Amino acid sequence: MSDKINPKKPFSRRGFIQTAALTAATLALPGCSRKEKPVLSMLTGDFDPLRTYPYRGWEDFYRKIWTWDKVVRSTHSANCTGSCSWKVYVRNGVMVREEQAADYPRINADLPDYNPRGCQKGGCFTEYVYSPQRLRYPLIRTGERGEGKWRRASWDEALTLVSEKLLDNIYNYGPDTNSFFSVIPAMSPVSFCAGSRLAHYIGGVFLSFYDWYCDLPPGEPLTWGVQTEACECADWFNSKYIVLWGSNISQTRIPDAHFAYEARYNGAKIVCISPDYNASATHADLYFRINPGTDGILALGVAKFLIDQDLIDAPYVKEQTDLPLLVLAGSKRFLRESDLKKGGKEDIFYFWDTKQQHAAPTPGSMGSDQKTIQLNGADPALTGTFQVQLANGKTAEVTTVFELLKKELSQYTLDKVAARTGLPAHEIELFAKELGTRKPAMIIHGAGTNHWFHNDLINRSFILLVALTGNIGKNGGGFNHYVGQERIWPEQGFFKLAFPETRKKQRFQNTTLWSYVHSTSKDPHLYNGKPIEWYIQESVKNGWMPLWPKNGKKPRAFIVWRANYLNQAKGNEILESSLWKDLDLIVDINYRMDTTALYSDVVLPAASYYEKVDINSTDCHSYIHPFGKACEPLFESKTDWDIFRALAEKMAEVATKKGLKPFHDDAFDWTRDFTQLAHDWTGKGTIQTDEQAVNFILGNAEETKGMTYQQIQQKPLRFIATDPESWNSDIEQGVAYTPFKHQADKKRPWRTLTGRQQFYIDHPWYIDLGEELPTFKEPVEEKYPLYWNTPHGRWSIHSTWRDHRAMLRLQRGGPIVYMHPDDARKRGLQDNDWVRIHNEVGHCVCRLQILPGEKPGRVTMYHGWEKFLGFKQGGWQSLTYIKIKPTQLIGKYGHVNFRLNYWGPTGNNRDIKVDVEKAKV
Amino acid sequence: MSRHQYAMVMDLNKCLGCQTCTIACKKLWTDRDGTGYMYWNNVETRPGLGYPRQWDRIGGGWKDGSLQPSPLPTMDDYGHAWEYNYEQRLYEGKRQPVMPSPEPKSGCNWDEDVGGMNADANYFFYLPRICNHCTYPACLEACPRKAIYKREEDGIVVIDQDRCQGYRYCIKACPYKKIYFNEVTGKSEKCIFCYPRLEKGEVNACAAQCPGRLRFVGLLDDPESPVHKLVLVHKIALPLFPEKGTQPNVFYVPPFNPPKIGNYGKSIQEDPRVPLDYLTYLFGPEVRDVITRLEAELKKQQEGGRSEALQLLIGRDAETRYRIRPQLVQIQV
Ligand code: SF4
Ligand code: SF4
Ligand code: SF4
Repeated sequence: MSDKINPKKPFSRRGFIQTAALTAATLALPGCSRKEKPVLSMLTGDFDPLRTYPYRGWEDFYRKIWTWDKVVRSTHSANCTGSCSWKVYVRNGVMVREEQAADYPRINADLPDYNPRGCQKGGCFTEYVYSPQRLRYPLIRTGERGEGKWRRASWDEALTLVSEKLLDNIYNYGPDTNSFFSVIPAMSPVSFCAGSRLAHYIGGVFLSFYDWYCDLPPGEPLTWGVQTEACECADWFNSKYIVLWGSNISQTRIPDAHFAYEARYNGAKIVCISPDYNASATHADLYFRINPGTDGILALGVAKFLIDQDLIDAPYVKEQTDLPLLVLAGSKRFLRESDLKKGGKEDIFYFWDTKQQHAAPTPGSMGSDQKTIQLNGADPALTGTFQVQLANGKTAEVTTVFELLKKELSQYTLDKVAARTGLPAHEIELFAKELGTRKPAMIIHGAGTNHWFHNDLINRSFILLVALTGNIGKNGGGFNHYVGQERIWPEQGFFKLAFPETRKKQRFQNTTLWSYVHSTSKDPHLYNGKPIEWYIQESVKNGWMPLWPKNGKKPRAFIVWRANYLNQAKGNEILESSLWKDLDLIVDINYRMDTTALYSDVVLPAASYYEKVDINSTDCHSYIHPFGKACEPLFESKTDWDIFRALAEKMAEVATKKGLKPFHDDAFDWTRDFTQLAHDWTGKGTIQTDEQAVNFILGNAEETKGMTYQQIQQKPLRFIATDPESWNSDIEQGVAYTPFKHQADKKRPWRTLTGRQQFYIDHPWYIDLGEELPTFKEPVEEKYPLYWNTPHGRWSIHSTWRDHRAMLRLQRGGPIVYMHPDDARKRGLQDNDWVRIHNEVGHCVCRLQILPGEKPGRVTMYHGWEKFLGFKQGGWQSLTYIKIKPTQLIGKYGHVNFRLNYWGPTGNNRDIKVDVEKAKV
Repeated sequence: MSRHQYAMVMDLNKCLGCQTCTIACKKLWTDRDGTGYMYWNNVETRPGLGYPRQWDRIGGGWKDGSLQPSPLPTMDDYGHAWEYNYEQRLYEGKRQPVMPSPEPKSGCNWDEDVGGMNADANYFFYLPRICNHCTYPACLEACPRKAIYKREEDGIVVIDQDRCQGYRYCIKACPYKKIYFNEVTGKSEKCIFCYPRLEKGEVNACAAQCPGRLRFVGLLDDPESPVHKLVLVHKIALPLFPEKGTQPNVFYVPPFNPPKIGNYGKSIQEDPRVPLDYLTYLFGPEVRDVITRLEAELKKQQEGGRSEALQLLIGRDAETRYRIRPQLVQIQV
């Protein structure tokens, strides 16, 4: 450190004002050890600006900039898991800027608070509101689709056109030819419900999104019987070991990443597993530069180590998982009551009770009368082979899932895992040891690993690690997946508003399947020697997956709102040239002209996020907060609620004018009288406005009972309770929310066939494909040399903000593909070159950035770029195609049944490969 | 010399590189004509080009008691504020993809996440930068018009927007290149440390809006302030380029990246992924001690002990991170 600056020997002839107060110059500051002090030159004039300044009146210039007339609380509806509450500042009727509200109530004094929540994108949304992309009037296409030629229409004309078409379709082709696509209710449930209610009352097909975007972790429904369960991010702070696995939190969890880095200062260690050395890796204690697509083998190698070194939590494993359950050696099926007794149940299972030395039924399975998983003194064997007597009198050999798992894991030796992952063996060992000993430990999981074809296997292998170590259902522990804003807290209230006659009376459709079947998509791979078409047929035939419209019909009308279907679609070029061509009406409801809007027939201008009333929630935190109207909807735009109400009214009017008879919908034995549509849609007039819709949701959910829109405009409120139908833990005062306490603490059964965390899936397809247990499978074979990695990044939330000028100026102005210097050198490529990225599916032309942190053998383009911006040709989805995994087509297996956004094939894309060459431009 | 001095500490180990600070500042202060290219707050990847390009290598500041020469950065050095013609593509049927104009060749965040190579291991970190509100501001000294002054009550350095004549000597003199010329008004502008906010008891926009929660603000001379504690008590924050002689009042907790592959568990002294020479280049020779101290504190916490310094850096709430004292620094102008 330095010698002190001596206040008695001022370095300039001007001297210093010697005040009693400490001044900066009298402090022993670091980095100021210069012997030489600057000698400020002699100043002429009568003042010294270092001491005092006579003309300070001008300072008001900047003071006036920081002024406003009005502040309104709102948020963003971009399918962002962030869910941040913002204040929008209005001056002279113009939304000038925003600032995080930063008033989330604190959970407890030890946990860091949630403030401020918000990122750079949220900080400049106001610019979108007045941008050239902002849609101002209803538009009807005059040129080719996608050409950008329009004429301005009146609302009346546009709605009449849409109404007539929708009604025509219903009467001529069936209600299932009208398709509706809108994503993620949690980001703005009222806007979502506006359209879903219309779909509901006219019998339209409602399409899924969470599985289609591959953000659904299929391992969760398989293992836990839930969609996605994760702790709120404040709970990260409670952890002592945080593994960032396929999740680049510095980029994709901007409002919450601090909890992890603060947890580190509080004694946690951070491990980052990612092929690229990225913005989160820089914060880690241990960084694993893993080979792409090998995460599964690493997890299984670690699982083997944990078991071999006896680092598992045996009491937890015996009570909470299916690992002690008995499996018939021959058929590989679970031992069931129906095997042991005539007329026995298919959903009662057994473990070997070492105390009684017999096969005892497990409490809490689907068929069990016991609504607990408590073992009541029994001690299930984890290992061993046993004999049981079957109903047919024969004896059969049974063994435990744990034994089978050990056998499966035996192949994942340290050396083999190290070689395949490219990681040092001794570091894998250290990692495994710490994972087994530092508690609580959690995996923060993201799209980086979830977007692979074998995502279900990868998920199951990861969950296995935190289950073996007893970390699930505990604060600071678990497998926490955050991709997309999938979960809506006030769920029951939402369902009542979204599908008033219940979900049973709604046509739902998995979008991956819908897009594949209704286009010329063709996956060239065979699975167990059979093409995917075979599996699709079987699945549909068995009633495992729905396929609308029925009887080989094509979808005819497609209504998109709160989403950018075409731009974000896997196999976008294939869909554009087939599915898109077959549609004879595409309507896009939007506040900005995105790619889907550009390729639509009718574009209806919607209110932006700052001109509407709605609510917003996320699994990242346990609060609810609203959208608000900083201004009335600009230009001729309307809120989604008002648009769909107007559409319902217009359809009723058209139906009346045409004298349409009520339509009998056989699928639900529902007679639909479209002349009454507006009346139905508004809940017989009870829900007219969006604020009423908000209050309807709040009032009909355990989580928010008693709250009103006006209250949450004042301040975000924490949920008061959880609905046991929807959630697996209680909301506790002073404690961060973490899931599965109902199971871990209260011993309630898991929502699975066996009532336990189920790692063994004995569905015949799983057994045939060798996936009854978590196993490692190599990525799908593709011919090209470089993986095409299109992760979520910091500069956009999907396609939102991709075309935002303020954001583009902080990047390189347009789409960029990142490549390792060695790969660039091999191809003679220079930084900022125009390059052509290609494979057998398609190509695109954009600029290259050379990035030493990228892994050789892979190129990365952060996803979401609008096809109309910055590409000389093609787009980032021009290289992808839809590839359905057969195991994700099953249904009617205990807890594994089709449910919108819970279970259905995912639209994976990480296995795609490409090559890159210099573009001729 | 000012009676009090506001200061900021930024903990580089918490920075996400998210640029929310950049946008917070931009939307508040530089969303006017002539300010498109300027970022009073910018975040740059280090090692790297910086903004403006090579600012750290072109001169300015003090040496042997006198101001050092420096060229004026060009627009290419700053990076142009690209414009986009959306209308032709979206509404006019021209079919041309929307492209940035002028053609991008450089930009304010051009080499984001690039960093450097160290024996095959890539390394980088983010360096958020604002004006340092220096104790010996080279900019102030260079202004022939005496239009730059240090506010006597709180040490904030500002440019009088009435009296500035746009000579731009200050831009050259500032070794951090934190002054920008507004071609529309013909005046130079710079970070004002959000004095209008501080005067009302609100912390700076870049700090208030930082989701990484890594900025600590207070009076350096207030023993209760977090900046005083971090800089003078725990001694874990250092100024940038101390040898430039301006005595900055913005301090940084230096970064430590994970060890290189295969070296898990090794000390940063044995395995500095970011070469210590590079950190010394940025933060002066004291950085070695500071890094060692930080590493020991982290070890203490990770082994179950308690580190007061790290507990402060956790910065659990705004009250911990900021101590703004408008009453104390009030002055009759
Ligand atoms: S975009 Fe997401 S993270 Fe950013 S402020 Fe909005 S909700 Fe928060
Ligand atoms: S950083 Fe530059 S502009 Fe700011 S006070 Fe110091 S010398 Fe002046
Ligand atoms: S807002 Fe904070 S975390 Fe984000 S770049 Fe700026 S300083 Fe870093």
